[in-house]
Amino acid sequence: MNLTMREIRGKYRRTIFGQLWSLANPLALMLIYTVVFGFILRIEPGKGDPSGLDSFALWLLCGLLPWTFFATVLSQGVGSLVGNQNLIQKVYFPRILLPLSLVGSSVYNWLFEMVVLLIALTILGSFVLPWLPLLLVIMMLLAVFATGIALLVSVANVFFRDTQYFLSIILQIWFLLTPVIYPVSLVKTTSDSAGGLLGTPVIFIDIYQLNPLVHFVEVFRNLLYDNRWPETADWVWCMGASAVSISLGLLVFRRNERLLAESL
Amino acid sequence: MSELAVRVDRVSKTFRMYRERNQTLKSAIMRGRTSVHDTFLALDDVTFDVPVGSTFGLIGSNGSGKSTLLKCLAHIYSPSAGSIVATGRVAAMLEVGSGFHSELSGRENIFLNGSILGMSKKELTIKFDEIVDFSGVEQFIDQPVKNYSSGMYVRLGFAIAINVNPDILVVDEVLAVGDAEFQAKCKVKFEDYRMAGKTVILVSHDLHSVRTMCDQAAWLSHGKLIEVGVAHSVVAAYRKSLPSPAVGD
Repeated sequence: MNLTMREIRGKYRRTIFGQLWSLANPLALMLIYTVVFGFILRIEPGKGDPSGLDSFALWLLCGLLPWTFFATVLSQGVGSLVGNQNLIQKVYFPRILLPLSLVGSSVYNWLFEMVVLLIALTILGSFVLPWLPLLLVIMMLLAVFATGIALLVSVANVFFRDTQYFLSIILQIWFLLTPVIYPVSLVKTTSDSAGGLLGTPVIFIDIYQLNPLVHFVEVFRNLLYDNRWPETADWVWCMGASAVSISLGLLVFRRNERLLAESL
Repeated sequence: MSELAVRVDRVSKTFRMYRERNQTLKSAIMRGRTSVHDTFLALDDVTFDVPVGSTFGLIGSNGSGKSTLLKCLAHIYSPSAGSIVATGRVAAMLEVGSGFHSELSGRENIFLNGSILGMSKKELTIKFDEIVDFSGVEQFIDQPVKNYSSGMYVRLGFAIAINVNPDILVVDEVLAVGDAEFQAKCKVKFEDYRMAGKTVILVSHDLHSVRTMCDQAAWLSHGKLIEVGVAHSVVAAYRKSLPSPAVGD
C-alpha cells in the first residue's frame, strides 16, 4: 500500500546511509549488550543444540531483532492516529490503514535485518535454511500479535494521551521480562530454588511464562540458533496470543473508528 | 425529480462542548470521568435530496453547520441521528494538499495522495499527465513538495482531487485557491463535471458563483435548514436576511 511506501521512502530521505540506518540500532544494542552481559556479567546461553553454535552476539540477536520489531511497532503505532490528525479530519479512507502502514514499514525493516542475521548465521555454521518456512510463519505470527496491540494502543492514545508515555515505561519493563538478554533456563533455575510463592505451589516461572513474548523469543531461538523444532506448547502460545491480540485490536478499532475524527 | 444522488434524511449532529477537558488516565480513574461538557447541536434535523447530475450549493453564515454537513457527507463524521445515503463514489475536497509528505517529490505525492483518495495505481498512471498538466507544476514535479510555493502546493492538491473522478464531488471553499487563471480552469472543470452527469455539492460564501454555478441550493442557519430549492431563490432569500450592504457580489 502506498502509505507504507510513504513511511519507508520518507524515513531515510536525505540520509547518506539510507536503509543501512535500520541496522545501526540493533547493531549498537548488540555491541553494548554483548559487552555488558556476555563479557562483564558472563551470561552463558549455552551452545546451540544441535547446531553447536556458540556466540553470545548471535544468540542475542536471534531474540533482540524480534523484540526490537515488536517494540518499534508498538511505540510508533501508538502515535499513528494522533500524528495523522490532519489527514483523519480532512480525508475519508479506512483509518486502519494508518497503523497498518506503520506495521508494514516496520516489517520491511525487520525483514532486512533478519536477512542480514540469516547470512551471518549461515556463515558462522548454523544450518538455518530448512527452517526458513517455519521462520516465516513465526514472523507472521509476531507481526499479527504486534498489530493487534498496536491497534489497541493507537485508539487508546486518541482518548488518553498518556498512553504513549505509559507505553514507553511498559515496554522497558516488558523488555526485561522477556528472555532477550538472558536465557529462560536462568529464570528456571532461580525460580526452582526459590520455591513456591507465598506458600502456594505456583513458582515464579509459571507467572513469567504468561508473557507471550517469552514463547515467541523461544521459538525464534530454537529455529535460528539451535536449529530445532520448537516445543508445541510454545507454538500454541504464540498462535493463541496472536489470535486474541488481533481480534481484540480489530474489535476495539472497529468500534471507535467512526468517532476518531471528532475525538482527535 | 430524477434519480437521487444523495438523500440526507433527518440528519442531526451533536458535539460536546467541553467546559473542562482532561484527557488523562489520572482524571478518568480518580474521578470516574474525563470531562464536563454541554452538547451542542451543530446540525438539527436536516433533510434534503440532491438529484443526480445537479450542482448543489450550501450557503449560510459562519458556524451554521455547512462544513459539519460536508464532513458527514464525506464520512468523516457520522451523524448522531438520521442517515445519509449516497449512490456512487463520493470524493471530498475539504482541504487540498492534506496528506502530502513534504520530503517526497510531487510525482510521489500524486500517487500517495491519489491512493488515499481511493484511486488505483492504474487509474493514477493513466491520469498522471492530466493531473500534472492541470496543476501547472510540471517543471517541479520531481522536487520535494516542501520546496513548492503555497500556490503550487494547493494547485497540485486540487488537481489530484479533481481527477479522482467520483460520481459525487464534495467541495468546501476551495474555489478560492490559486490565481485567476487557475480559478477559471476550475470553473471549466466543474462545468465538465456537470456535462458528464456528475453531482457536485459545494460550500461557498461567494453568493455570485453559487447563483451562477448551482442549480439547487440549501440555506443553513444555526444548524437548521431554512430553505432548499432552486439556487436563485434560495440565494435571494439568504441575501435578504443579511444587513443590506454587507455582501456584494
